[in-house]
Amino acid sequence: MPDPIVLLDHVTKRFAGHIAVDDLSLTVPRGVIYGLLGPNGAGKTTTIRMILDILQPDSGTVRLFGEPGGGRAHAERIGYLPEERGLYRKMRVLDVLVFLGEMKGVDRRRARERAGEWLERLGLADWRLRRVDELSKGMQQKVQFISTILHDPALVVLDEAFAGLDPVNAQGMKDTVLELRGRGATILFSTHIMEQAEKLCEQLCIIARGRKLVDGTLNDIKRTHGGQHLVVGFDGSTGTAAQVFADPRLVTKVDNYGQYAELELASGADPQEVLRQLVASGARLSRFELQEASLHKIFIDLVGPVRGDARADEDRP
Amino acid sequence: MSKVGAVIRREFVERVRRRSFWVMAMLGPVFFAAIFLAPLWFARGGGLKRIAVVDRTTTGFGVAVAVGLESTRGIFVVRRILGGPGVEDSLAREVGARHIDGFLLVSDSLFETGAVEYRASNVSSLEDIALLRQSLGRVAENARLERAGVNPGVVARAQVPVTLRTNKITRGRVTGESAGQSFALAYFMMVTLYIALLLYGVQVMGSVIDEKTSRVVEVLVSSIRPFQLLLGKVLGVGAVSLLQFLIWGVAASALIGRRAVLEGQLTDRGQDVGQVFQLPHVSLATGVVFIAFFLGGFALYSAMFAAVAAISSTEQEARQTQTPVTVLIMLAFFSSFATLANPESRLALALSLVPFTSPIAMPARWAAGNVSGIDVAISFALLMLGTVAVTWVAARIYRVGILMTGKRPSIRELVRWVRA
Repeated sequence: MPDPIVLLDHVTKRFAGHIAVDDLSLTVPRGVIYGLLGPNGAGKTTTIRMILDILQPDSGTVRLFGEPGGGRAHAERIGYLPEERGLYRKMRVLDVLVFLGEMKGVDRRRARERAGEWLERLGLADWRLRRVDELSKGMQQKVQFISTILHDPALVVLDEAFAGLDPVNAQGMKDTVLELRGRGATILFSTHIMEQAEKLCEQLCIIARGRKLVDGTLNDIKRTHGGQHLVVGFDGSTGTAAQVFADPRLVTKVDNYGQYAELELASGADPQEVLRQLVASGARLSRFELQEASLHKIFIDLVGPVRGDARADEDRP
Repeated sequence: MSKVGAVIRREFVERVRRRSFWVMAMLGPVFFAAIFLAPLWFARGGGLKRIAVVDRTTTGFGVAVAVGLESTRGIFVVRRILGGPGVEDSLAREVGARHIDGFLLVSDSLFETGAVEYRASNVSSLEDIALLRQSLGRVAENARLERAGVNPGVVARAQVPVTLRTNKITRGRVTGESAGQSFALAYFMMVTLYIALLLYGVQVMGSVIDEKTSRVVEVLVSSIRPFQLLLGKVLGVGAVSLLQFLIWGVAASALIGRRAVLEGQLTDRGQDVGQVFQLPHVSLATGVVFIAFFLGGFALYSAMFAAVAAISSTEQEARQTQTPVTVLIMLAFFSSFATLANPESRLALALSLVPFTSPIAMPARWAAGNVSGIDVAISFALLMLGTVAVTWVAARIYRVGILMTGKRPSIRELVRWVRA
């Protein structure tokens, strides 16, 4: 098994008054899209900052690419798009890109070439000598994105990459993430929007209040934490279906709307057994559908009702 | 290290490209020229006074007056007229027509009581009136001495004034520099250092706050250590300041080279007024001391400015927070006047040793007084120690502060950051 791209081993980070990240271990394998999920203030940004060497953990270790040394030692191989975005407003677009490329260890001439190519590709070639603050917000985001991937990083870290994007830009971002993945990059992104995570992630880790609640592949998590959900629709007669629903060996939770019911099956219960009993009860069925729990539901179940978050604390080292 | 190089280049190129840099580059020489050319320019004007002498004396004294005035530079006696009815009125009309500037009514009373009347279109030029009075006084004095049987030549010889030539001995050598020149040089260096420390310190602050508010800093510190970033900034802005000094220096020496020409154009009494501002000779050693202490002081203060920017979230907030640092620079500047007044005093010695004041006080003391190379070396070593210590503290505040937003940290939090 190849070395994981990111390995966090019992990492803890305390700020004055609270623990931002508490004994967190996680593994991001090579070539996957990995989601770091959690409510606001869960410690996502702190975790990412520790991976990137912007903050140092109080205890525990961070290993990248199977080698010791934090993110700064591997800066050439990492692209980082922070949650709070921004560029030098008074600089020319091309100069900003060349400078940020140099920060990632790309030599000056090469950075200039690559920046030119990318600007061409994203339709910004005419703007290369304009000042950043003359660009529209959308264009600035493109420029920032170019700066993140200019050096062709093996690991791309996107902190809340979708926050504040309009649908068109969000779609663009999604396409780009998939494209990067297609080119062999590993992508670690954080979000609190589960719908996006569900569409993009192959593996994920859910954290809340600095602690890991669950991690693994999306499918495994759905299987182990999703439970089994059943939607039943009746065509007129319900028979004695209510008795079947009341059997605790089969069903743990029911929302019965008369002609329509949502069931949560008991663990180990066989859906086929439910179907057999319903047919035997004399009910006429118009619908019988096994449903996967959404990531959103798993998340809510695990994290609990979303409380007033600790967002203000998260930015305070 | 190529990353630090990139930071230096960015700071340098972006600043030198800005219009404000070139405005400062132009303003420097203009300011410099103003300092030594303004006195000449203001002294000009008026030029030759054309006056008539109305002679009402009974002793022929009026002739002596006309001759005496004629030999005074700046005064041209158009003619001498014997007093009579209507003379004053016709002369007044000539003044009105600007044929002459004024006329003098000389009677015997000038000889006896010193009373004499001058009528002219302009009697408010103190300088012209003083000149006239002086000349008339000399004529009257000589006439009185002659009447008393004393040879005015004897008196004049007795009254030859003492000329005290000052000649500064610096580090055991006569420099040919006068007290006025030493003072001027020290003063000029103080003002320049004060302005430059503030100007470029604030630029480092602006650069830090710019990266902080635009959030670029987060990407930067994922690739470069905060200390390297700070180092690159200070070196970059420092290089800009050196370029600025170089431009000023070249412009100043060009101006000095053309000084005689400029003076000729500005005044027709060059020799006299040229003494108002004496240009000191700036030796290589003085230049080295100036640049060395500027760079040391710049490193010291810009580290503090960087820390100020790091704990502020906006430019406005930074401008408030910078007060202690700017006050420190002002303190260094104003206390250094003590150095000018007495370069050998204990206060001057102390000021030139303490790292916060030495960047201004030491070059001033060097220029004004007799400071040995060892004194300068000790002062510079202390400045370096102070700079290292302050930079160490500032860098620790900077490291944490640049990632922080929201409320400004308390002193206690700052102490914790530094200790961490």
